[in-house]
Amino acid sequence: MIKKILIANRGEIVSRIIKTCNLMGIETVVVYSEADKDASYVKQANESYCIGAPSPIKSYLNIESIVTVLKKSKADAVHPGYGFLSENAGFAKAVVASGAIWIGPDPKVLENIESKCYCRKLASELDLPVTPGTIQPIETIRDIYNIAESVGVPLMLKLDKGGGGKGIQRIDEIQDSKKMQAMFDSLQRVGVMAFASGDVYVEKVIERARHIEVQFLADQDQQVICLGERECSIQRRYQKIIEESPSVVVSETERQRLFAYTKKLIHTMRYTGAGTIEYLRDIEGSYYFMEINARLQVEHPVTEYITKIDIVEQQIRIAAGEKLAMQQQDVSFCGHAIECRIYAEDPETFMPSPGIIRKLSLPDTIINTSLRIDSVAEEGGNVPPYYDPLFAKVISWGSDRQSAIEILKTGLMSFVVEGIKTTIRADLAILNHPKFVAGDIHTAFLSEEHCLSQAKLS
Amino acid sequence: MEYTLKAPMPGLVARVVVVEGESVTEGQELAVINCMKIEISCPTGKRGTVKKILVGEWDEMDVDTPMILLEV
Repeated sequence: MIKKILIANRGEIVSRIIKTCNLMGIETVVVYSEADKDASYVKQANESYCIGAPSPIKSYLNIESIVTVLKKSKADAVHPGYGFLSENAGFAKAVVASGAIWIGPDPKVLENIESKCYCRKLASELDLPVTPGTIQPIETIRDIYNIAESVGVPLMLKLDKGGGGKGIQRIDEIQDSKKMQAMFDSLQRVGVMAFASGDVYVEKVIERARHIEVQFLADQDQQVICLGERECSIQRRYQKIIEESPSVVVSETERQRLFAYTKKLIHTMRYTGAGTIEYLRDIEGSYYFMEINARLQVEHPVTEYITKIDIVEQQIRIAAGEKLAMQQQDVSFCGHAIECRIYAEDPETFMPSPGIIRKLSLPDTIINTSLRIDSVAEEGGNVPPYYDPLFAKVISWGSDRQSAIEILKTGLMSFVVEGIKTTIRADLAILNHPKFVAGDIHTAFLSEEHCLSQAKLS
Repeated sequence: MEYTLKAPMPGLVARVVVVEGESVTEGQELAVINCMKIEISCPTGKRGTVKKILVGEWDEMDVDTPMILLEV
């Protein structure tokens, strides 16, 4: 039994997790940095503790400080949210060592997953299609030339332990060895500094690919069920902006194939908890394994809307040792859901826009149950410059895609935000784009369709 | 004469790319700040010599926080 959970994160996801804990009768402990001390979501928890200065390294990434609070508060489990330390095996180990439950996969499993090459190797051993490239770190730039010769360009150089859009270098044409060496060296340096590993692997770029990911739950008895797919092809700087489920391109046969890949891989890894496997779908309809996200994802509400399953509740139950109360055939999908992320950024340039929220009015979600808003933004509140620019997630549900888009647009248009800039206009420009409406999207959609310059017009 | 490089935006010091005593040209990048996870380059408006570095990695800054002092 879990009675008290410490949430090692900040912002909307803390408030989201507290809601489920309240429903389950579980007490909550929140940690916050000096920059978040006045945020009202902090007061939603039963207990709250300051863990340091605003800089993430001194607070939300400060394992020692968080573990001290864990011991002091006597919380019996830790929910890490997403980002920060959510996939950090060292943190998970420290939590377990202090006698608490880690709400997520076993630290040893997390440690394996930290290496993308480990995942690529395991996936290919299990006969999952993996993007062409290397399945282990390369030794010299000679390997890049070899791969280019066999599969062509463009290629991506990626850090084995990279993440969050960091540590990716695209190669559009073959460079001379001096330039290539410089690129390789600089990427290795970034890796050593940011991820304590300079290992680099090579992957072929799948052009006009669609990003399709599968949400799964796995219990300690190794039962794995899939909660459908999410399509997240609308991205900028390798970060998602719009996510939806189901995807318009995934046929029932393809879905079953993705579920089978996912179950095979997760079962073999002995993964427990909730997680996501990301795949790419090329224009011919072939799928490639990309990576595993060993955490709750930002876009999980999309799946919650169409399956009516509370993913956070499932995470907590699995961590407590409960068996999944349902099997694959009990999971049903109803209607269509779309999430749109509002960032505190200039809608034309996507440059950051921190500051005080002078005025804020949110769309109604009490009468309108087809709209969900996950946000802790408040009038008079501060959007600090030290963290992710995510301002709000707006999620809509409709009986079909068209109605979900309409509900989402109406929701976005009724936002009033003053004091900071937000990407609402850019989000609306995408939702109004004929190609988006037709479902004709891919991961380079935003850069090709110039939705940003259209945001000026709308 | 002295010239002070100030933070163009609030955020964190991602890195300082020059050392004290180094001579720099106008427009050269002296530091990079991280605002909401986006890295923003901070070039100098004047050429000169780096006299004093006033900030350290991951320091928090407001707009116009002095970062680097140049002798120009």
